Amino acid sequence: MTPPFSRILVANRGEIALRIIRAAHELGMQAVAVYSDADATAAHVRAADAAVRLGPAAPAESYLRIDAVVAAALASGAEAVHPGYGFLSERAAFAQAVVDAGLAFVGPSPATIAALGDKLAARRTARSAGVPHVPGTLEPAPVDRPDQLEAVLAAAEVVGFPLLVKAAAGGGGRGMRRVVSADGLPAALVAGSREAVAAFGDGSVYLEREIMPARHVEVQLLGDATGQVIALGERDCSTQRRHQKLIEEAPAPGLSEVERRRLHAMAVRLGIAAGLQNAATAEFLYDRDGSFWFLEVNTRLQVEHPVTELVAGLDIVVEQFRLASGAPLSRGALAAAERAARPTTHAIEVRISAEDPARVFAPAPGRITRWAMPAGPGVRVDTAVEAGDRIPAEYDPLICKLIVHAGDRPAALRRLRRALAETEIGGIQTTLPFHRAMVEEPDFVGASGLSTTWVDAHWDGPVSRARAVRVAILAAGLAELGETAGGPGGTLPQTGQDDARHESGPPSRDGSVPAWRTAGRAFAVDRWPR
Amino acid sequence: MSGARRQRPPTMIAGPTREAGDPAVPDGPADPAAVRVGVAASSRQEGDPAITLAPAPDPVTRLPQDGSPEPRLPLVDGVATAVSLERFGDSRARLTEPAADGAAGGALRTDVLLGPVRIDRARGTRVREVVVDGWRIDVEVEFERRAVLRERARRSAGTVSLGGPVEIRAIIPGRVVAVTVAVGDNVEAGQQVLVVEAMKMQNELRAPREGSVERIGVAVGDTIEVGDLLVVIH
Repeated sequence: MTPPFSRILVANRGEIALRIIRAAHELGMQAVAVYSDADATAAHVRAADAAVRLGPAAPAESYLRIDAVVAAALASGAEAVHPGYGFLSERAAFAQAVVDAGLAFVGPSPATIAALGDKLAARRTARSAGVPHVPGTLEPAPVDRPDQLEAVLAAAEVVGFPLLVKAAAGGGGRGMRRVVSADGLPAALVAGSREAVAAFGDGSVYLEREIMPARHVEVQLLGDATGQVIALGERDCSTQRRHQKLIEEAPAPGLSEVERRRLHAMAVRLGIAAGLQNAATAEFLYDRDGSFWFLEVNTRLQVEHPVTELVAGLDIVVEQFRLASGAPLSRGALAAAERAARPTTHAIEVRISAEDPARVFAPAPGRITRWAMPAGPGVRVDTAVEAGDRIPAEYDPLICKLIVHAGDRPAALRRLRRALAETEIGGIQTTLPFHRAMVEEPDFVGASGLSTTWVDAHWDGPVSRARAVRVAILAAGLAELGETAGGPGGTLPQTGQDDARHESGPPSRDGSVPAWRTAGRAFAVDRWPR
Repeated sequence: MSGARRQRPPTMIAGPTREAGDPAVPDGPADPAAVRVGVAASSRQEGDPAITLAPAPDPVTRLPQDGSPEPRLPLVDGVATAVSLERFGDSRARLTEPAADGAAGGALRTDVLLGPVRIDRARGTRVREVVVDGWRIDVEVEFERRAVLRERARRSAGTVSLGGPVEIRAIIPGRVVAVTVAVGDNVEAGQQVLVVEAMKMQNELRAPREGSVERIGVAVGDTIEVGDLLVVIH
């Protein structure tokens, strides 16, 4: 079959750039990479058929430069641009610039991105589509107008405390602040707006009620040019910290088929209302009463799309390229949507990041000295790093997605436990200890206590680390004693065994000579001038 | 059963001038083969322990009627402990230790990854990375005798003045996006002094105590590395 395009450009870096390049190559398309100076030798650059330099390491001077990316696409002869996630993926202006240059944008249309990508506009769209949204304001708060503070405070009282200040252009918790009382609101508005400007170039913030405890459930959508929108299934991404997802799974545990159908239908209604073409994800909060509250739509490929791919049996990036070329929804995608309310397998993804889980998940960039990834049945690893790579501080700390797939949730958890035990990373601190502890937690294993506040209640990094420190210093000390004693292989004698280290007297019966005797001779031979 | 012997509390021989929080320093000569093992400064966190580890002592004179010899165990802080390390090549090992709650016959086995040994010439120690359950820990090893000398020297150097300047250093690499104080400003404990952006998150740095800002080592837009001097408060 003919490829949707002959050459495409991937406007991203890291594991997602590599993942898109892989799909392009499998479709028989050539892939063009872009890179900053920090990524000149990165895996996505090596994997691509051509690569174009964008600028220095800082995102604002490289991956966030719309003009440079579009120029690279035109210069390299690409016919389409895939934005991945993050960076420019949800900028309507970028999608428009790509379309204006006569290229295909692999994602929703600029108009849809504007209608859904702006969270305030998305909330208004939800209201018009009859989908219940999280209670809160529908217009941006006037951050730079101190004279209107009274109005904001009045609106906050209506929403109720505690509430969240959120960035209209936001995602991943950036620009978000939790406010418990009216006193903290002005400072939170300023801080949230400042962070939003730094992260997205847009400082608009709004207020939203904090629904707690709640699970985070989202629906993967695909739409085509004929106006048809389908749901490929839902994911549970409740395991979060500071609004950053840590673990995602598909399907969401514990939902009935009726609930699934209701949720998928709500998401599809939203997609149709916004004229969705290509891929997007509708996010909902699922509270203890069984209600779904619309949160936002991400008009792009999600980090956690692989869990849906495994359960749906569909390559979402491949579908994206076909849809972007104007093709209708494929037979495979329609069949997957038919099955979506009755999933028969389970997939779990953990995000391994360069963060220190003993120090409130603070960034821990550095150079990887050791890197061994798990393998075997039902294990998928999406990553773009290897031993010797430096994790730059300029970009997202996500370095690896470990995804497992099995017949049901308990089997997937056992597989995940096994795969995590096989994972070896040295040189940088990662979130691996957190994930290893998680798969042993009864609440997580039973899926009973899933909620977005679960991590802070169940994870004590310093305690987990203290146990490891004791083992580490004992092991290093024993290794040192073994090595300084010059014992065989550096091993200390095992408990209850004869002490083979203290050899003395004549050579043993098999004729071997004790090491200490030959040491002097070796020394003399070494020193002899040759 | 030798369980009772293992439960004996660590032997602490403290000098008369030892203060709370100071490590125990034996006054007598230390075993020349003994090593002091702790977490190296590069990955140390508050409360991390250090231990003294000595090989099993040479057997004392044995008489024929003593029967079979007892297993010879290494000394952890002076206590014979049933810990052992099985090596699988240069970089993999498995530590076996008695179960924490003294369960009869229980032994805990943990796989560890051992990095290559680096020599820290400035401190005269040997440092190696150890990875346990995904935790990456730089462990520092030095001979016990040297550690004792170093601690004696440090103790006699006197106490640290509490009124001296406090240096705020970078604990994460990143970029300075805001400096909210100026030289000469009086700051209160907990007051924000800098905002550093790292991995797209804005991190607020706060003054550890009150005082006046003596020096600011960075400006907005500067890229900082771990350990860089940011602000001095007097």
